[in-house]
Amino acid sequence: MNKLNLLYGYIILLLVLGTSGCKHETEPFDGPSLVDRFGPFTALTDFTVSQPTVDFANGEEVFFSASFNKNVNWIIEITGSESGSVKTIEGFSSDINATNATWDGGTTKLPLFKNEVCNVVLTIPEEIEFMATETVETLSGKQYEGTLFTDFEEELGVDAFIGNFEFEFTPQTGRQSDFPAQGDSYLRLEGTDNVVPNFFVGLIDLKASITGNTYIQLPTTVPEDLYFNCFMFSDAGPHGLAIIDFIFDANDTGAFEDGQDTGFRVMADYNLATWEGWRQISHPMSETGITQEQLEKVVAIRLLLISDKNAQPTPPLQVDFGIDYMIFTAGGPLEL
Amino acid sequence: MKNIFIKICWLLVLALCAGSNLLAQDGGSEATIADDEKSKIRFNGLGRTILTQTSIAGDVIEADTNTIDRLTDGEFLLDLAINATPNKNSEVQAIVRLRNEFGGFFGAGMSIEVRELWARGIIADFVKYRVGDMDVVMSPYTLFSPDEEGFVNEPAVFQPLKKVIDYEQFYTDDNTRRLQGAKLDFGLNFGTILEDLDVSTFIAKIRGTDFFTIPNRLVTGGEINFSTVTFNDSLGLKADFGLNLVHTFDDLQSGNAVAGIRNTVATIEYDVTVLDKSNLSLHLSGESGRSNVGRAERQTTIITDEAGEEIRREEKNIMISEEDDTFMDVGLTLHLKKQNLTVFAKYIDIGPDFFSTGAQSKRIEYGEDKTYYNRIGTDRNLRQASLFDLSRDRALYTFRTADRLMAYDPRYSNTMPYGDATPNRQGLKFGIHYGEDTDKIAARVDGAFLTEIRGQGTVELKNFNLIKAAADFNLHQFLNWKNTVRATLGVQIETTKRGGLEVEQVDLTSNLIDLGLEVELFPKFDILLGAKLFTSEGNDYVPQLSGFNEVRDFPGRYIADDQETLLGLGIKYEFKKDIYMTLQYNSFNSELGSDNPNNYNLQQFFVLYNMKF
Repeated sequence: MNKLNLLYGYIILLLVLGTSGCKHETEPFDGPSLVDRFGPFTALTDFTVSQPTVDFANGEEVFFSASFNKNVNWIIEITGSESGSVKTIEGFSSDINATNATWDGGTTKLPLFKNEVCNVVLTIPEEIEFMATETVETLSGKQYEGTLFTDFEEELGVDAFIGNFEFEFTPQTGRQSDFPAQGDSYLRLEGTDNVVPNFFVGLIDLKASITGNTYIQLPTTVPEDLYFNCFMFSDAGPHGLAIIDFIFDANDTGAFEDGQDTGFRVMADYNLATWEGWRQISHPMSETGITQEQLEKVVAIRLLLISDKNAQPTPPLQVDFGIDYMIFTAGGPLEL
Repeated sequence: MKNIFIKICWLLVLALCAGSNLLAQDGGSEATIADDEKSKIRFNGLGRTILTQTSIAGDVIEADTNTIDRLTDGEFLLDLAINATPNKNSEVQAIVRLRNEFGGFFGAGMSIEVRELWARGIIADFVKYRVGDMDVVMSPYTLFSPDEEGFVNEPAVFQPLKKVIDYEQFYTDDNTRRLQGAKLDFGLNFGTILEDLDVSTFIAKIRGTDFFTIPNRLVTGGEINFSTVTFNDSLGLKADFGLNLVHTFDDLQSGNAVAGIRNTVATIEYDVTVLDKSNLSLHLSGESGRSNVGRAERQTTIITDEAGEEIRREEKNIMISEEDDTFMDVGLTLHLKKQNLTVFAKYIDIGPDFFSTGAQSKRIEYGEDKTYYNRIGTDRNLRQASLFDLSRDRALYTFRTADRLMAYDPRYSNTMPYGDATPNRQGLKFGIHYGEDTDKIAARVDGAFLTEIRGQGTVELKNFNLIKAAADFNLHQFLNWKNTVRATLGVQIETTKRGGLEVEQVDLTSNLIDLGLEVELFPKFDILLGAKLFTSEGNDYVPQLSGFNEVRDFPGRYIADDQETLLGLGIKYEFKKDIYMTLQYNSFNSELGSDNPNNYNLQQFFVLYNMKF
């Protein structure tokens, strides 16, 4: 073998391997942008709203616009002047536009928006001196997907049975309109377990006939896909528990007969001391243990107000909760 | 495609190993050890006594009533090495450490441990083996322990404490890494084209499992080095080549771990002697290669029959993230033999995603608690590691490898904080080395003009300039004195700059000067003087790193306006080689900007008796 040829081979090998060391993946830079992290902030365009009024029920949306010289964490907070409802939109960008700041009428913090003037505030946490405001008027509320059971906007009449067996409910039990989560009314259960101390304060049965049907109409009867949703109010007072029973018409009479029909409920009670204000309750019906066949014959929903007697002082304290906008959805919980 | 290079290297390794074994059976072995038929047991080791008294003063502790202003500590230590050669082909050694802390009585503060244990020998007069503790080094990009920062030409007065660190952390002049495992070596000689070939392979465990989420971590690899014959006698043209492969991985069968790392580095080294004359030689040398790093996850697949019944479960490891990158290091070295002068220049290009845990793991762990005054001041703030700590605190040092780029201090090293294998660098390195240690003057200048390849937080790139100069003056040779008088000088100037918008700009300048003087007043009795003067001024952004070498964030602009002065004065008496005692006084002053309430100074007296036997 010619030694010189071998040398040429070495040189070629060197060149091939040597040049292979210069190829790197090209990315703009590593880590977050220093300009974004530490650069001075300037608003390049004013904060604006795309339209002064918006009709959500007709599918309209509204979006907000602004631009800055760098990417920032920004927060748009929309507050209903009448309802007190709050919608928050957050992002990290240098541009606020239709792709990242569109409002479809949804809510972040209950209650739901009414037809009202809403105040819109843009803030940037890192720039505490910056704030921009706008207003937008909602002409109608967002239409949520699902099958509404009741939102308590109409008189309940014979479709509701108030079981005040021990005369422990207060007169405030029933439809109220002081601070509804949706619309103008909600249902309130309020009382004190001081007549017959036995945990039980009272109950209200909401019959399927409230919807004009024998059985509750549902978007699906597959327990795993069917979600029950409602808004529940608590003043965070201690010792109160709420229970929601779904009544299956076990004897096929088309009506709710206590003691003959079967109730299903989620395993955990709603401990009313654990939150304050309105919150959304959502769970798949499979959590109650009800079957698909039984879901086809749900004849009523029972609401119970319980007082935790063992924890109550003497005399016991009043307990209460509110409920609004009971709706069934398919495939997932109600999305506000 | 991305693993083709690594696979080719593996195949080359396997092919050459197979070929060499065939040749070995033909009697191609050259490996031997000392021929001694009788078994021998030898005792040697190291004894050390060190007592220190350290005190602190300065603005930072004026209102601080929690900090003790004077600390006294020390240790008495004996490393007893028991070495046995049961036959001419086998050798075993154990080092048992007996240690007692200063102030420990009747067993309190005393410890006994096995510091080192290994066995080695030769199989069939051909293959060298070693099991247990071992020091392994390959190339600066594969398996290598890069030198620590904080010194250029360490004055002799500061060397004794530095040598204690080196001994404790198994650091060697060859930049080896201490591992625990097994190693095989063999070599072959050839007649044509190739002159000789050496093969070395190893496997070692570098981290143990906790039997829960942390798996065993192992490193395996090897190198094949071969030399060619001289192709052209008049020029001396010949070439040396080396193939290196290191694979670090987590054993996902250990404990209950389901995720771990994989890091493979494959390189080729070369040293082509272009010219080798009586008065000069010229070499083309370098190394290039590729790294692959990623995370593996253990996944279980349930195999079922047609009815859906489980038949068995299969486990396999899959890569959930991977990253490749390359590096290149190529240069020319000119050696003027008569002048004893070596000049080299090289171009390097180390990819931003190049990751080599065995080569990039630093010796200094800045996040560790310091032995002396870790927290000071009324707010009990962490004291920043300083030249005082880097020169003596073994708690800051480690020999272990890390699975991400370790924290660094840009004041002490910003150009190459992870040694030659520092990722995201390209540019020119050069050096001029003159003389030997025993000459009247020995001097060297090394430099690097590098830039980033990919920006950090910006598309703007940092530019790094580093100049390191060192000189030893053997004054006794100038004066024809019998006793040694040696002056040493070291200078390091490092600048980092980046343009762009004001918020992106970086400008950091650090200077380090080492001054040393050793005077042999009487035979074996030296007076030692030394100073380390350090300044750092400017600003930089130091990234917070998450997995491997990913930049997660920047905590803020790092601002330096520091001056550090470490002075040393001492005497040293050498009873005989490697047995000496030194008594020293060191003074350290740290000024963090003018009138900074966190300024402080440290004083330390210590006596060190060191004996190798």
